Parts: sequence; structure tokens; C-alpha cells
Amino acid sequence: MPPPNDLEFRVRPARIEGTEPVSHSPAASVVPTTPAVGSVVRARLGTIARQGGLIAVIIALVVGFGAARPFFFEANNLMNVLLQASVVGILALGQTYVLLTGGIDLSIGSTVAVSAVCAGLFSQQTSPALAILGALAVGALCGLVNGLLITVTGITPFIVTLGTMSIYAGLALIIAGGQAVYGIPVPFEDALAGGIAGIPIPVVLFTVLTIASVLVLKYTLFGEYLIAIGGNAEVARLAGISVGRHTATAYVVAGAAAGLAGAILTARLGAADPTLGADLLLTAIAATVMGGTKLAGGEGSMAGAAFGAILIATLTAGLTSLNVQAFYQQVAVGAAIILALLVDQLAKRSRT
Amino acid sequence: MTDATPVLEARGLTKAFPGVVALSGVSFAAYAGEVHTLLGENGAGKSTLLKTIFGVQQPDSGSVHVDGQEVRFDRPSDAMRAGIAMVHQELSLVPQLTAVQNLVLGRERSKVGIVDWREARERARLALDRLKFDAPADVPVSALSVAQQQLIELARAVSTDARVIIMDEPTASLTSAESERLFSVIDTLREEGRAIIYVSHRLKEVLALSDRVTALRDGALVGTRLRAEVRSERDLVQLMVGRDLDALGVQGDTTPGDEILRVENVSVPGVVHDVSLTLRAGEVVGMAGMVGAGRTEFARAVVGADRRSAGDVRVHGKLVRINRPADAIAAGIALITEDRKHQGLALHMSTASNVTLMDPPSRFGVIGRRRQREVAAEWLRPLNTKMQVDQPVGTLSGGNQQKVVLARWLRNDSDVYIFDEPTRGIDVGAKGEIHHLMRQLAESGKAVLMISSDLPEVLAMSDRVVVMRDGRLVAELSREELSEEEVVRHAAAE
Repeated sequence: MPPPNDLEFRVRPARIEGTEPVSHSPAASVVPTTPAVGSVVRARLGTIARQGGLIAVIIALVVGFGAARPFFFEANNLMNVLLQASVVGILALGQTYVLLTGGIDLSIGSTVAVSAVCAGLFSQQTSPALAILGALAVGALCGLVNGLLITVTGITPFIVTLGTMSIYAGLALIIAGGQAVYGIPVPFEDALAGGIAGIPIPVVLFTVLTIASVLVLKYTLFGEYLIAIGGNAEVARLAGISVGRHTATAYVVAGAAAGLAGAILTARLGAADPTLGADLLLTAIAATVMGGTKLAGGEGSMAGAAFGAILIATLTAGLTSLNVQAFYQQVAVGAAIILALLVDQLAKRSRT
Repeated sequence: MTDATPVLEARGLTKAFPGVVALSGVSFAAYAGEVHTLLGENGAGKSTLLKTIFGVQQPDSGSVHVDGQEVRFDRPSDAMRAGIAMVHQELSLVPQLTAVQNLVLGRERSKVGIVDWREARERARLALDRLKFDAPADVPVSALSVAQQQLIELARAVSTDARVIIMDEPTASLTSAESERLFSVIDTLREEGRAIIYVSHRLKEVLALSDRVTALRDGALVGTRLRAEVRSERDLVQLMVGRDLDALGVQGDTTPGDEILRVENVSVPGVVHDVSLTLRAGEVVGMAGMVGAGRTEFARAVVGADRRSAGDVRVHGKLVRINRPADAIAAGIALITEDRKHQGLALHMSTASNVTLMDPPSRFGVIGRRRQREVAAEWLRPLNTKMQVDQPVGTLSGGNQQKVVLARWLRNDSDVYIFDEPTRGIDVGAKGEIHHLMRQLAESGKAVLMISSDLPEVLAMSDRVVVMRDGRLVAELSREELSEEEVVRHAAAE
């Protein structure tokens, strides 16, 4: 590839006599430097404001609930909130990869169920490490099936994953024989539900995966291509990017994340419940969109998804501490989602 | 021409965006029965002015008057109610709806909520007939070509009773025959006493159509001239850019070298029939034809963007298997597509990401962001642009967006460059630069195919012209045989 300066493009139109030799660069003058810098700064500020907004709301919630129920401030309780957020958070990260491509994965809840059951059965047969890997593999396989169905047949992601949502849910029940798998060995439970230096392992995993995902999105070809595909699949295709392979990979990642979530749930509950799922799916999507990911694709934030999950967990835990009934909690969580996006809309409107 | 109160008048409009003044104190008046052309380079403020008049944006100061009365348009529907219609440069049709549905959209007549489609079809037919436009009115417009869609858009504006019709580059994607039809419609509209606000980069048609010309530069009014005060295209250019430009286009004087691309018997069912073509190093080959002749479809089939039912592609004499765009890129064939927004750019990604989309500078799958910005700037520099490479590409002007697409493909260093309508919707300054660039590529030993509906451009740029009609390649004209009449004769003959 030759450096472009070798070609001396004679693109500047010749001046005619009598005109001022001013540096009137033709079309180059179109975008002055100042607004460009301004808009970049504004774009950055937008992201910071959004993450900052979520964090501010989380802090406000903690302070509010803490004022009413002092035990809410205790490190123990706060860690518990993070633990609650971990499973949904890991799912939300996976879902973000898919949403970035402009797709959606409705089957992650059911994938959690299948993986949880498999993790439970594997744990009774083999070492914790292999059982966890097995659960990850099952999740990834579910994702691969989604990805291939979507990219090979061309059926829309919503429909494909609506179908597999039902299929995987059924499979979970079939594999489990219609009831929960009990008798999870203690070593397996310890491997995923234990702690490192007082921090629960799911929280550690959630944190590590969040940071990894932020970096993947920001610095890797995979992340760049997902954004390009979600932003404009035809452009990506004409630029020679293999759209199918990258899109399918996003579903595999989401599936693997669901596999991990399933294994964690089995370890934490000490049993594998084949009916898990529907709640997790919706909460994960809620966390994702709260974090600023667009359902239309091409735009999304991993950190946002993580903070979204923490916010929902904080709200739920706080309302529980206030003895608010579960029914009302559902209403509150739903309202919070709409409110978050409403604030977003208003902010956008005031900017233009 | 009248000196009465203008139908629509803007007084001292100012509009600032953070960091830039897009309009400063611009006044502008449109009179009944006149065509008033708005001139200016990309970014001169034409679009901002039109958007402000049409209620898409609110001015920071200044006012808009209709029949001398001050009005305030909070949204486009307010403007439409006041009798102003706009033909958008970017298509604003609903792709899934048919021509008929698009034409009556929002103005359907219904009985108890049931749309009277027979009446709607009649109304649509009337509007289309007026443009002497016979396109299938009952298929989704997404199945039509860009030019056909543009005509439907025009028909929609014309079919309203608007007293002021704003046309933002209506001929950008039309063939000369279609443009002629449009001009006769504009004449009729003028005779009916409507005011037309017209934006075009094609100076010839500006001279032919306008009663009044207003030029903007860097957001400020340069001046308004009556048609009689303008003698030539040169006057217009000077009014617009404050300097003179090279003559349109440049033909090369190098004799073409070795054959680089040989395409044999390419067919796409229903649109392209058995087209063969060779391109040699150092030449710019123009591809002319009416809209719908299958030129874009041919190019897309060559690079594997669409499936072809037959046809071989040879590069440097060697048969290459091309089934998808990635194969064409690997074989050294670049297609710079016509529709930037939909096929050229990922609009909310940064300029740097768009330039390096095909191969971001990376190591082990990790992108070097700093390197990426440097590379993007490096490839944009020779295109005579100064832009912030970490800005979302969607915020750039049309000319600069086109340069981002060009930079991407130049960086890839292909042997064959296929340009599909490379200067559509671009101002004269940028147009000249792109012409030079194509010539420069040819001179550095590349083969260039330029698909263009802009006949003067084809005539000025091409070393050789091929003409397509109804999916077939019907003529090949050497530079000696080349003339406007000859091209049109082949493109339109039946």
C-alpha cells in the first residue's frame, strides 16, 4: 500500500488572474475545526453524562434506601446488591453484543435454563471446571444455532429467537425430566458461589467481563465490525466484512454469557431450575437499553448495560428492604426503564 | 416577473450551531411566477436556509414572511399549511409503500376511516402524468431506481396546491431527458403563478431556468442577481465561490495501456443481459444510459454485491471467482457506490472508522485508535479536506462524505475503480476535485469506469464511452465519435 502523498493529486483548481490569492480552500472549508472539536467534546460529554446519570441515580437510590433502612448502607448488603446484579448484568453484556448488530436474542432466558440444568447434571459427573466449561459450551451452542439460523436462512432475529426461546425452554424441561435437578456437589457450588477475598465470585466475573467487553467494543476489530454491521450492514458487506460470520459470533457470545449465568444460578441456588428464564430476559434487555444501547443497532455501551443491571438490582433490593410487595416492585422497575429513556429523549431534544 | 410583495420572504435569518454560524443575516425573497435559484458550495448554508424557511429548524433571529405577514413555522407541517412544499434532496418516501400511497400520504380521502383508493390512484396518476412519468405506480417504491423515486417525490410536491415549491437539487439523479421533462413542468408551474425556489449545482440549467439567482457563501449572502445581469456560467461560478474554476473535466493524453479488467457476458435476470466490457490501464471509460438501463446493477453484479446468473470476470487476464464483495476487493476491484447514505457510510461511526472500515490498523485483532486516526487523516489529506477524523461521519457535508468514501477505497489500492454517479449532489468545487482524482488514478495506471447520468461530465471526462439500454450494452464510442447527440441517440433509441 503506497503512502498517499506519493500521488500528487492536482485537485486544487487553478486560480485566475485578478482573484485574491487567499487560502480559500474549496470544499475543504466546509467543516471548520471549531465545531468539529465541539461536537466531539459534546459526544464524549453525552456518553459521560449518560453513565454519570446512571451512577448518580444508583447513588441517590442507595442514599434514599439507606436513610429509611440504615442496614442498606452496610458493605454486606451492598455486596449482596451487586451479587443480585451479576447474573442479569452478564446477560445484559451478552445481549448488548447482539443488539449492536441490529438483532435481538429473545432466547437468552431459555438458554440460561438449559445451561443451568446441564451445569447441574455435569457437576454430578465431573469436576467443577469441566462442568462450568460444559455449561458455557451448551450456551454457546444455543447461540450458534440462533446465529446460523439468522445468517443462513435470513429469517429475522426476533422470529428465530422467539422460536428457539420456546425450543430451549422445552429442552431444559426435557433434559431435567420436568423437575429441578437437586444434589449439586459442594465443590461446584464453591467454585461459582464462593468468594475471593470476601468478594463473591459472580461479582468478580461480572466486573471482569464488563471491563473486557468495554475494551472489546472500543479496541477490537470484532467490536468495530459489530458496530459497522449494526450501523449499516450493506456498507459493511460492500467493504468486504463478512457480515454473517461476525453476526453469528455475536449470538455465540450472548449464548456463552447465558451459559455462564446458568452455571452461576445453579451453583448459587444449589439446584437447577428448568423454568428459569423469562424474567431474566426482560430484565437483561431493560438493563441494556437503560445503558444507552439502541434496539436499531450500531450504538451501544457495555458499561451502560452493567450500570443498568446494577440500577435495577438496587431498586429491587431497596424496595424489598422497605417491604414493598413484589407486584409493586415490578411496576417500579418498569417505570424506571421508561423514565430512563424519557430523560434521554428530553436531553437529546434540548441539545438540538 | 413582478415587483409586488414576495409570496415568501426571509429577513435577516441567523442560525448558529455550537461553534459555527451556519447563516448570518440572510435575506431572501421568492416571487409568484418566478424561479429563484439558490447557489452556493456545499456548506455555504443553502440547506440551513431552506430548513429554516420550511420550519425544520428555528432561526436564532430574523423572520419569515408569507404575503408580507410574519409567520412562525414550528414544524414542516406548518409550512405546508401555509402553501409551501419541498422536494427533498434526500429521498423522503416510505420505501414499503407504492407510488400511489406515497403520493397521497397524509392527504388520503376517506369515508368512515376507509381510504378511497380509487380516488387516490386517480389523483396519483394525474400527478405522474403531469411529469409524463410512467413508472409502475403499484409496486413498493423501494423496487424503483433512485431517479424514479426522485420523480415521484417531485410529483408529490407538484400535486399539492402549494404556492411556493422548494426543489433541492431535483435533477441530481435524473437523465437529461428526464430533466427536460422536469424543466417543462417547472415552466408550467411558473406560468401558473407559483414561486419556485430551486437549488442546483448544474450551472447550465440554472442559466436556463432562473429568473433570479441568489448566492450564499460561508453562511452569508453574497448577492442576488436578476437573470439579465448574469452573462455566463462563469459569472455564476464567480458569484458562488469568489474564484474561477478549471473547465469541467479533463481528458487524458496518455494512450491506454494493458487490459486490466475483462468482463464477459454478465447477466442478471431481468436487468442485465450479456454485457461484456474491457477496461485498460490509464483510461477513464464513461458509462452512459438512461436511468433503469441496468448500469448500477451491472456494476453490483461485477463486484458480487448482487448475484449474477452468468458472466466471467478476468483481472490482468486471470479468471477470478467473485461471489461476494470481499472477493472483488481481494481481486483489486473497487466499487464506489452511488447512494452514500445507504451503501457508502456507517453514519454514526467516526470518520476515521469509516475511512479504515475495510482494514482497520490492528494487531492481533486490537485496533490502534491513534494509528487509525493518523491513517485516516493521511488518506484524506490528498483529497483536499480538513476534517476532524473522530467526528461522526453523519455530521459532514455531502462533498466531504463522498471524500471519506473515496479515501477508504483509495487506501485499499485497487487496480480497477468503478465510480457510480461519483458527483451526484456535489458542488462544483468538489466535483472538479473528484474529476481530477479520477484522471489521476488513470494516469497512475489504474482502470476507471465512471457510471454517470450527467452527460456533460461523461463527455468531458471519458476517453471512451459505453452506452447501456434496457440491460444491454448497445454502443461503444471512441473519443472521436463522441458527441451528446450520439450518446443520447443510443441511450434512447427504440
